[in-house]
Amino acid sequence: METQSEEQAVTKPADSGGEGGPPQVAGAQAVRPEDRMTLLLRLRAQTKQQLLEYKSMVDAHEEKTPEQIMQEKQIEAKIEELENEVEEAKTAFEIKKLALDSVLMNNMKQILNLNKLIMKSQQETWDLEEKLLDVRKKRLQLKQASERKLSEIQTEKNKQKDDLDSMENSDKIKTIQQKLETEIQITTVIQHVFQNLILGSKVNWAEDPALKETVLQLEKNLTMI
Amino acid sequence: MSVLRPLDRLPGLNTATILLVGTEDALLQQLADSMLKADCTSELKVHLARSLPLPCSVNRPRIDLIVFVVNLHSKHSLQSVEESLCHLDAAFFLGKVAFLATGAGRDSHCSIHRNTVVKLAHTYRSPLLFCDLEIEDFRAAMAQRLVRLLQICAGHVPGVSALNLLSLLRGSENPSPEDL
Repeated sequence: METQSEEQAVTKPADSGGEGGPPQVAGAQAVRPEDRMTLLLRLRAQTKQQLLEYKSMVDAHEEKTPEQIMQEKQIEAKIEELENEVEEAKTAFEIKKLALDSVLMNNMKQILNLNKLIMKSQQETWDLEEKLLDVRKKRLQLKQASERKLSEIQTEKNKQKDDLDSMENSDKIKTIQQKLETEIQITTVIQHVFQNLILGSKVNWAEDPALKETVLQLEKNLTMI
Repeated sequence: MSVLRPLDRLPGLNTATILLVGTEDALLQQLADSMLKADCTSELKVHLARSLPLPCSVNRPRIDLIVFVVNLHSKHSLQSVEESLCHLDAAFFLGKVAFLATGAGRDSHCSIHRNTVVKLAHTYRSPLLFCDLEIEDFRAAMAQRLVRLLQICAGHVPGVSALNLLSLLRGSENPSPEDL
């Protein structure tokens, strides 16, 4: 006798991609492509898992199930055996995974160490380059300073020369020079007058030392001073 | 005699279907509502039935998890569940069946001994959950748990299969049946 039972179905579109979601309409347009991407990735993972399940079921069905009628105790024992096999398979898999993980860990550690070394060397290179840059800057500064000093010297010299030239051209000096010249001329005339006086008197001036000195002094050419 | 098979249909995209079987309609309806309110990234479909076999005329999606709800206060629910179990394909018991015993809180009303249900679950190698479905907080917590269970059985969680989960759950339950 079959009991026809009633059945009720209740559903709910819980996913954000469903049509019945009112919050999605308001202003979440920019988030939609992101949601779609995550949805697709999730669906992909799901289908993979489901495929795996179907495949394992197909493999399981290829094994022949024992058809003979066994005692209940035997069935229980068999079931326990199979369960133990499952557990063993699981632990073996976990151990393999751990072993692989340790190898992976080693590789990762090596990579990390190498990365650290690389970063250190790069840092050192950077420091040295900075120092080089500093030295170059200093050299440039020194050059500029020396340039400035030389140009200062140059201007000083030019100034001195100008001063000198201007001094020579100034009027004051000209008048003094003229006066000097006239004085020299007057003195030369006086010298000649005295010379001619002494020579004209026909006195022997070589005998008297004082007179000699006077005559010699009168010979001095004043323009040569 | 229609036997329910676990993998006779292809799964719906992002859909997980659970079938709640039990004689207490009100409790089942409340549990269904709690499950639908729970947070889940996949689409949930909850089917309710008093007993198996299910009518063939209905076009239903692939069922991922069946939960038999036994009320410890009534012997009738236990009998109905035991009868329904015959209509299931053996492949279902590889992790896609769970037993839920309710009403254990009020010990004076219990007509079924706790160990009976424990033995039943042990015979069928399926996990047994205890919950007082009348109390809302417990019901919400159990609904959340069932939703997670359902996601794994539907294949929505990569890396964990129903069988895997079964052996995981068994590890924590093993001590009690061996005491029997």
